[in-house]
Amino acid sequence: MNPVRVALAVARKDLRSEWRTRELVPALAQFIVLALIIANFGFQIDPHNAPSIAPGILWLALVFAGLVAFGRAFAAEREQATLEAILMTPASPVALFAGKALASAALLILCEAVMLPALALFFGAMLSGAVVAAVLLATIGMAALGCLFAAMVARIRARELMLPLLTLPLWIPFIVAGGQAVQSAMGLGGGYDEAIGLLIDLDILFVVLTSLAARFVLDE
Amino acid sequence: MSILVANGLTHWYGSDSALEGVDLVMDSGEHLAVLGENGAGKTTLLRILATAARPTSGQLEILGLDAFRERARLRRRIGFVTHSPGLYPALTATENLEFFCDLYGVSRSRASEALETVGLRQVAQRRAARLSRGMQQRLAIARAILHDPRLLVLDEPDASLGSDAGDLLAGIMTGRTVILATHDHALASRLCPRSLVLRHGRSAGTPTRLHVVK
Repeated sequence: MNPVRVALAVARKDLRSEWRTRELVPALAQFIVLALIIANFGFQIDPHNAPSIAPGILWLALVFAGLVAFGRAFAAEREQATLEAILMTPASPVALFAGKALASAALLILCEAVMLPALALFFGAMLSGAVVAAVLLATIGMAALGCLFAAMVARIRARELMLPLLTLPLWIPFIVAGGQAVQSAMGLGGGYDEAIGLLIDLDILFVVLTSLAARFVLDE
Repeated sequence: MSILVANGLTHWYGSDSALEGVDLVMDSGEHLAVLGENGAGKTTLLRILATAARPTSGQLEILGLDAFRERARLRRRIGFVTHSPGLYPALTATENLEFFCDLYGVSRSRASEALETVGLRQVAQRRAARLSRGMQQRLAIARAILHDPRLLVLDEPDASLGSDAGDLLAGIMTGRTVILATHDHALASRLCPRSLVLRHGRSAGTPTRLHVVK
C-alpha cells in the first residue's frame, strides 16, 4: 500500500469535507480578524509602535487559531465514529497522521492568508516574502505537533483542556524562532537567517519525531 | 481448516468484567451468530475478534496469524461493521467508499461494485448525511466488503436495515467466514448454523468448542 496515496487521500477527504461544510475556515478567519481588532483597541497603538507590536499579535492569533484547527482534525473523526473505521484499514498510521497534518496545515495556511494582510492593514506591518516564509516554516512543525497531540487527546473527555496544555509548551521554540524571523523580516532587528535555519531544524526534528510517535498514538 | 482460534478471551473495563474466558474455534466459511442480552459482552467480543481492541488476556489467532502482533496484515482480510455507520456526512456515498478504497489499497472501481451489492447504486451521488439510517448502514456494509475480506465481523448490522435485511446479509455472507451479533434470533437461525450465547461476559456452555450451541 502506497503511504503517499493514503496521506493524499486523507488530506483530500478532509479538505473536501471542509469545502462543503465550511465549518472551520470561516470561523477561524473571523476569529483572527476579531483578535486583530481587539489587539488594535487593547494596546496603545500609534504609527510608531504598531509595527513593533505586530509580530507578537501575529503569533498570538496564529497559536490560538492553530489550536482550534488541529483540535478539530481528530475530534471530527471521533464524533463521526470514523476514527475507528480508518484505523481498521491496513493503512499505515503514519500515512493517516501525515494526511491529517497536511489538511490541518493547509487550513491554517488559508487563515494565514487572511491574517497577514489584516496585520498590514491594522498595524502597518511590512509584509514580504521573508515574513511569509517564516510563517509557513513555523506552520509545518506546529501542524505536526498539533496533530499528534490532537490524535492523542481525541479519545479522552477533557480533550479541549488537554490539547493546549500539551501543545503550547512544545510550540514555544517555533514561536521564539518564528517571532525572531518575522521581526527581522519586518525590519525590527535580529538575525533572519539564523532564525530561519532554526525553524528548518525544528521542522525536521518534529516532523520525524511526530511521525515515529504517530504509530503508537494511533495504534490502539 | 480453522480460520479463527480464540482461547480464554477476557476483557475488563476498569474493575468491570466484560468478557471472561471465552473460547472459540471457527472453520473457513462458517457462519456464527453471537447472541445475548444487552451488556452480555457481544460488542466487546466482536471488537476483539475484529482486532479493533486487545483483550486484557487470552490468545487469538486468525488465518494462522497472531491477531495482535499481525494486526496490519490481518486487516486486509477482515471486514468490520459496527453499530454506528461511521461515515463522512459531507461526502457522497461513492466518495466515502472511494476514500476507503485508497486506504485499503484496492481499485476505486470496487466502490461502484460494492454499492451495487448493497442496493445503493441509485443514491451513489447523494451525500451520506442525506441518506436514511438504513441506507447509511448499507453503506457501512459496502465499506466492509470493499477489500473482499475472508472474515466478516458484523455487530448488529440489521438494526436499521429494514425487511430485506436477511437477503442483503445472506448475499454478502456467501463464501466468507462470518461472525454476526444480533438480537434477532430468527435472523440468526436463518443465516447462521451455529450460535454462541453470551451471558454476563461468559459463554453459556463449557469452555470448549462444544459450548458453541448447534
